[in-house]
Amino acid sequence: MSSEMEPLLLAWSYFRRRKFQLCADLCTQMLEKSPYDQEPDPELPVHQAAWILKARALTEMVYIDEIDVDQEGIAEMMLDENAIAQVPRPGTSLKLPGTNQTGGPSQAVRPITQAGRPITGFLRPSTQSGRPGTMEQAIRTPRTAYTARPITSSSGRFVRLGTASMLTSPDGPFINLSRLNLTKYSQKPKLAKALFEYIFHHENDVKTIHLEDVVLHLGIYPFLLRNKNHIEKNALDLAALSTEHSQYKDWWWKVQIGKCYYRLGMYREAEKQFKSALKQQEMVDTFLYLAKVYVSLDQPVTALNLFKQGLDKFPGEVTLLCGIARIYEEMNNMSSAAEYYKEVLKQDNTHVEAIACIGSNHFYSDQPEIALRFYRRLLQMGIYNGQLFNNLGLCCFYAQQYDMTLTSFERALSLAENEEEAADVWYNLGHVAVGIGDTNLAHQCFRLALVNNNNHAEAYNNLAVLEMRKGHVEQARALLQTASSLAPHMYEPHFNFATISDKIGDLQRSYVAAQKSEAAFPDHVDTQHLIKQLRQHFAML
Amino acid sequence: MLKAAAKRPELSGKNTISNNSDMAEVKSMFREVLPKQGPLFVEDIMTMVLCKPKLLPLKSLTLEKLEKMHQAAQNTIRQQEMAEKDQRQITH
Repeated sequence: MSSEMEPLLLAWSYFRRRKFQLCADLCTQMLEKSPYDQEPDPELPVHQAAWILKARALTEMVYIDEIDVDQEGIAEMMLDENAIAQVPRPGTSLKLPGTNQTGGPSQAVRPITQAGRPITGFLRPSTQSGRPGTMEQAIRTPRTAYTARPITSSSGRFVRLGTASMLTSPDGPFINLSRLNLTKYSQKPKLAKALFEYIFHHENDVKTIHLEDVVLHLGIYPFLLRNKNHIEKNALDLAALSTEHSQYKDWWWKVQIGKCYYRLGMYREAEKQFKSALKQQEMVDTFLYLAKVYVSLDQPVTALNLFKQGLDKFPGEVTLLCGIARIYEEMNNMSSAAEYYKEVLKQDNTHVEAIACIGSNHFYSDQPEIALRFYRRLLQMGIYNGQLFNNLGLCCFYAQQYDMTLTSFERALSLAENEEEAADVWYNLGHVAVGIGDTNLAHQCFRLALVNNNNHAEAYNNLAVLEMRKGHVEQARALLQTASSLAPHMYEPHFNFATISDKIGDLQRSYVAAQKSEAAFPDHVDTQHLIKQLRQHFAML
Repeated sequence: MLKAAAKRPELSGKNTISNNSDMAEVKSMFREVLPKQGPLFVEDIMTMVLCKPKLLPLKSLTLEKLEKMHQAAQNTIRQQEMAEKDQRQITH
């Protein structure tokens, strides 16, 4: 049957059923009959259609929502000069999260990430694990909330996505960009749009891959920032020409130019384009892109105002509400964040991010049974992964529903996708074991966490506490030292080290560790106590 | 503690909770015991702190897709490299 079908129709059907590889293959066959593979023949509309379709299929294969993608590589983080104020006032910056903690539980209850933010309930590509202070810290990926941060600049990620598809096609890339006459394409608005998306999403950065790897080995980070721009310039050129062709009246092209500028790191130019696009046509997307620019410029308050402006035009728009909640969360304003997440749930009661964030908030504000309801809701919605079962297990345990606890953890372990995840599950199981007083089991659990992930600082710390209970001081000290070097942002290892040293009479080390602990968590009463005690000791000497 | 109990004879076992039906009465009979005399000892033992249990964040769809594509891309590249290596070995 299908062999008799008109190939273009079949290709369309594949495209609509999201079988992009089949669609692209079929289009390739159709295009092979035409002598000019590179450019669609204007005389043959069928070829033109196949060409567009192939471009779109290839784009869709690697398409990711540009709004969501905001992953900063280390190079961008370390060499960022876009923030306007170097010493911003409290409450106006995303970089000083500790200064305005309102409504959230303290660090003694809710673990924090390397940047000093409470761990979040939901991980997005742009979930900032914060800007590390030093290069050393930057390279050591933050294990407290495991994120897949690329070591290289953000273009490093884009490279690998485009390359794979190129490798699979033996005749080289579908469109040879360097041979493209962009001016000609910009005259044909329909072709140009498909071509732009193809260049922007699919081609990305294929050219620079080898260069980039070489640079990585040499360790020249600043150079990375510059070399990602070849292809995006192509996209930008095309967009610029097209917008000229439409006499600057097409908001879509303006948004695309803005996107290109954003990727190139030219935030002010991007802002201009987005603003101009908004003047012509108010779209939710444009608001989101513009807000992204402001977040990159470290102006959360402006972004918040923009979102609220957007909400006037589009009342109850979920993405805008969610954007506000995210910014509040990043500014450590947990109560406002929860408020907006609830607002999101009023509009869309299956919003995973909102449910997860509210759930984790409840868990860490001592209401595990309510958190359990939220996570159960997620399970009912069909989410089935290791993280969810781990959270369910923890909630069950702390809400005293012991029958479900171990089965949840078992399932979490069987669903864990990588060793880091399994390590986290074993770590939490260790807590359950501590809770029921089975120190042997706890010991084994923490050991297993370390087997799975040798950099699990929390497990080192807890293991040290258990060793100390057995009276193994030296082992405990060694474990604590490992923990504190792995995660200097956590106060627990420092404090425990200070306590042990104090006990065995090593007051100098105890004092040093206590001060580190105080730096990590200034409000910790026991640390303050210890420091006071030590000062008295030293004064007596 | 003993003194406080002696002060309040109702606590020394005279009234047992035999009449469960009358909750209001029971409530009024039992009062908290707060000894007001005698020294109070609070021993502040410095205990070690455990790190807290960690809820794992769920991953957004985009992130999952990204990771999947990463994985696929890396696999393809690795396969390609392996194939090249094999070919080189054959030609040598």
